[in-house]
Amino acid sequence: MSFETLLFVAAGGIVLGGLYALMATGLAVVWTTLGIFNFAHGAFIAAGAYIAWQISSTEAFGLGYFAGAAVSVAAMFVIGVITYALLVRPFERQPNLVLLSVITTLAGATILESLLDILWGARSKQIARVVEGDVSLAGVTISANEAVLLALVVVILIGLGLFLRRAPAGRAMRAVAQNREAAQLMGLDVPKLYAIAFGLSAALAGLAGLFIGSIRFMTPTMGTDPLLKALIVVIFGGVARFTSPIFAAFIVGLIEAFATFYVGLYWAPAVLFAIMIAVLIVKPEGLFGKYEKTV
Amino acid sequence: MRYDPPFRKTTGLIPTLIALSVLALLPFVFTDSYSRHILILAFVFAIVASNWDLSLGFGGLFNFAHVALFAIGVYTYGILAKTLDVSPWLAMPAGGLVAMVVAALIALPVLRLSGIYVILVTIAFSQLVYQIVISQSDFTGGTSGMVLLPALDIDGYRFVKNNRLGYYYTGLVLLIASTAFLYTFTRSRYGRAIIAMRDNKYYAMARGVSEARTRLVTLMASALFTGIAGGFYGSYVRVASPDAFGLGFLTLLLSILLLGGAGTIWGPVVAAFVITVFSEAIGDLGPWRNILIALMIVLVLVFYPGGLWAAIQEGREILNTAISGLKARIRRGREKAAREARLGARERMIETRHGPVAVSDTGAPKSADPAPPVLMIHGNSSCKEVFTHQFAAFRDRHRMIAFDLPGHGVSANADPEKTYNVQAYAEVAEDVLDTLGAEAPIVFGWSLGGYVALELAARGRPVSGVAISGTPPLAVAPDDIGAAYDATSHFILAGKQFYAPNETRAFATSTAGPKTAESAFLHEAVTRTDGRARFYMITKLMVMNWPRQMRMLREGTVPFAILNGSDDPFLNHAYIASLAYGAIWTGKPNDIEAGGHAPFYARPEAFNEAFASFIAEACHPPVAGQRPE
Repeated sequence: MSFETLLFVAAGGIVLGGLYALMATGLAVVWTTLGIFNFAHGAFIAAGAYIAWQISSTEAFGLGYFAGAAVSVAAMFVIGVITYALLVRPFERQPNLVLLSVITTLAGATILESLLDILWGARSKQIARVVEGDVSLAGVTISANEAVLLALVVVILIGLGLFLRRAPAGRAMRAVAQNREAAQLMGLDVPKLYAIAFGLSAALAGLAGLFIGSIRFMTPTMGTDPLLKALIVVIFGGVARFTSPIFAAFIVGLIEAFATFYVGLYWAPAVLFAIMIAVLIVKPEGLFGKYEKTV
Repeated sequence: MRYDPPFRKTTGLIPTLIALSVLALLPFVFTDSYSRHILILAFVFAIVASNWDLSLGFGGLFNFAHVALFAIGVYTYGILAKTLDVSPWLAMPAGGLVAMVVAALIALPVLRLSGIYVILVTIAFSQLVYQIVISQSDFTGGTSGMVLLPALDIDGYRFVKNNRLGYYYTGLVLLIASTAFLYTFTRSRYGRAIIAMRDNKYYAMARGVSEARTRLVTLMASALFTGIAGGFYGSYVRVASPDAFGLGFLTLLLSILLLGGAGTIWGPVVAAFVITVFSEAIGDLGPWRNILIALMIVLVLVFYPGGLWAAIQEGREILNTAISGLKARIRRGREKAAREARLGARERMIETRHGPVAVSDTGAPKSADPAPPVLMIHGNSSCKEVFTHQFAAFRDRHRMIAFDLPGHGVSANADPEKTYNVQAYAEVAEDVLDTLGAEAPIVFGWSLGGYVALELAARGRPVSGVAISGTPPLAVAPDDIGAAYDATSHFILAGKQFYAPNETRAFATSTAGPKTAESAFLHEAVTRTDGRARFYMITKLMVMNWPRQMRMLREGTVPFAILNGSDDPFLNHAYIASLAYGAIWTGKPNDIEAGGHAPFYARPEAFNEAFASFIAEACHPPVAGQRPE
C-alpha cells in the first residue's frame, strides 16, 4: 500500500469522522443532559434532510442551499422540542425511564419516518452540492463539497462548544446534566433546559441530514445507518466531556475507512460493531470516559 | 414461604382450556387460507414475544438482540434444510439450539453491564450478526436472502395443503409447548432466581444467586423457543430475509410485548393475536399502519402502562365484585329464614359509615342478672353464622350480636380503598354497637376479627372484655407476621384475591374444617367474599397502629383472653406465648384441644366453657382495678 493510498483512505476517514462527530455530538447532548438514549435521532437526520431538500431544491421551492439549511435547522429544533414534550416528558418521573424512552423514541422514529414516506414518497432524492469540483491538499484530492462540509462541521462544533462553555443557557444545561436536583434548587428551569437540549440535538441532526443528503441519496430510512454509527461513536468515546465523542468520531471514521479498504465494504460495519462490543466489555464508560461507580 | 400449586389447580386452568379448545376448533370456522395465515403469524409472534418477556419482563434484562435470535432460527433452518439437505423436522429444533448458542455469546458482553448499556450492546450485537449475515452471501443470499426453503410435510402430506391446516396445528402445538415451557421455567428455582435478581439484585446476590449465571440462563432459555419459532417461520414463509433483523420487526414485537404487559407470560400471547389481527386489518394503509401502531405503543405507555394483561385483571376484578355483590344481594332476602334459624336471632341491615351491614341480634335476655352484651366478629372470608354454637349457648344470659363484615356474608360490597381494612372494620363495629345501643360489650374476635376486636378496644371504646381466637397480636407489621404465623401455603391464600375452586376448599377447610352438610355454609361464605376484601385487607395490615394494641395488652387495661385451637394450622404458639400480657385470663394463652383454627366451631363445648368462665371473671374481677371505668 503506497503512502498516497494511505493518505487517500485517511482523508475519506476524516470526512466520515466529521459527519459522525456532528451526529454523535447531537446524540450525546441528549444523553448527557437527560440521561436517555434518543432512538429518533436517525429519523431527525432524515427529516432534516427532507426539509432542507424541500426548501432548497430546484425541483421544489428552490430558495437555495442556505435558506434550506436555516429552515431545516429551525424546523428541527421545533420538532425536537415537540418530541421531548410528547415522548419523554410524560415518563420523566418513572423509575424505568431509560427503557420507556427507548421504546417511545423508537415509536417516535417510526412515526416520523412514516410521515416522511407519506409526504415525500420513497423515491430517492439528493440535495445539491454546496460547491462543485475537487480540491487538492498535500497530494490528496477530495471533492470540494466534502471539504466545505468538513470545515462547516468544525465551525459548528466549535460554536457548540463555545455555547456549552460560555453561554448562560449552555452552562445551565451542563449544570442540569451534572446534578439535576442541585440545578433545580438553584432556580434553573429544568424542563425548559431539557427541551432546549432536545431541540439542539435535533437541530444538529438536521444539519447532519443536510450534509448527508448532499453526499448520498435520501430515503425516509436514511437515518438508521448514521444512527447506529453515532451509537458506536458515543459508546466508543464515552460522554464524559463534550470533546470525547468528537475524537471518537474521527477514530471511528478512520477505522471504518481502513476496514473498508482492507476487509471490504460488507465487513467494515461488522468490525465496528465488534470493536464497540469489545469497548463495552472492557470499558463501558467509553475510551475517554471516567469510571463512575454506580449503585 | 412459597405458594405455587400445579397449573391444573390454579385459576388459570379453565380460561386456558377454553382458549385452547377455541384455538383448536378455529380452523373449522375459518376455513380460508388467509385467516389461517394470520393466525399462524400470531402463533409465531406470540412465541417470540412471550419468550422475549422472559428476559425483558421477568429478568429486567433489555435484550434488544432477541429478534436477532429469531432471525438466526430462520437462517439456521434455511441453511440446514436447503443448503445441507437436512430434514426440516431436524432443522427446526436445530434453529432453537443455534439460537441458544448465540444467546450464550450475547450473554458474555452483557454479564458486566447494566441499564442502557445492555440495550446498546445488544443492539450492536444484533447489527453485528446482521452484517455478518449479509456479508456471507454465498451461504445466506446476502441482502436478498434465501428463497424457496423446503416446506414441512409428513409422508408426502404437504402441510400447506387443506388451506395450511398442517401449519396451523404445528404452530399451535409449538405455542402450547413454548407457553408450557415458560410457565414451568418461571416457577422453577431458576425462574425464581431471575425474578429475585430483577426485584432486588443485592438481596438475591446475598442469598447466593449468581448474577452472571442467572443472566446466562435467562438469555439461553429465552432463545430456545424463539429459535424454534424462527425455524418454523422459515419453513412456513419459505424465505429467510435479513428484514427479520430490522427495526420494524423489532418494533412490532416490542409493541406486542408492551401492549400485552411485560412480566407476564399470558399478556404477550393474548396481545399477539390482537396486534396481528389489528395490524392485518389496517394493512392497506401503508405507512399509516406503522404510525398507528407506534401511536398505540406510546398511548398505552402513557395511559395504561400495565397493558392488556392489566386490563384483563381489571375486568376479572369487576366480574368478581359484581358476582359476589349479587350473591349477597340475592341471599339477603332469599335465605334469611335459614340464617335466622342458624343463629336463632333476628337479622337486620344497619347503615354504617362503610355502607349497609347485616347484623344478627338476639335482643336483651329475660334473665334478671345484668350481664354485658357479647359482640362476635368473624374472620377473613367467613360470615357471622359461624358463631351458631355460641348464640345457642349464651343467648339466655347475654344479648348476642354478630355482623357480617363489609364484603362478607350478606353485607354489601364496599369501597375497597376505604373500607377493606381493620380500622374501618372497627368503625363498622362501633356503628353497629351505637345503633343497637349495646354498651360495654364483651368482644370476641376470630382471626381477622380478632384484630378488629383489639383495634376496637385500643381505639378507646369501652368494653367489658376482649377475647381472641386464631389471632396473634402484632407489634410491627410486616416483620412480626413472619414470626407470628406458620408459613404455610394456606396462609398465602388469606391475601389472594381470586380463588380457584380447590383454593376455596383449601382455605375453608383450614379455617373452618372439612366440608360437610353442616359446614357447607362456611365454604359457601368463602366464595361469596369480595376478593378485594382479602387483597386490600392484607396490603393495609402494614399501615395499622399495631403498637397501640400491643400497649393495651401489655398494660392490661382490658380483661383479655386468648382461646386458640391447640392444633391451629396458622399460628406459631411459641410466639403468642412469648408476648407480655398485663391482664390475661388464667395468666397465659389458652389452647382448646384439637380446636383447629376455629375452636368455637370445631369444639363448641370446650370453648363455651372456657369463654363462659372468662366472661364471668371479666364481669366480676377477683382483683379490683382491672375493669375500665
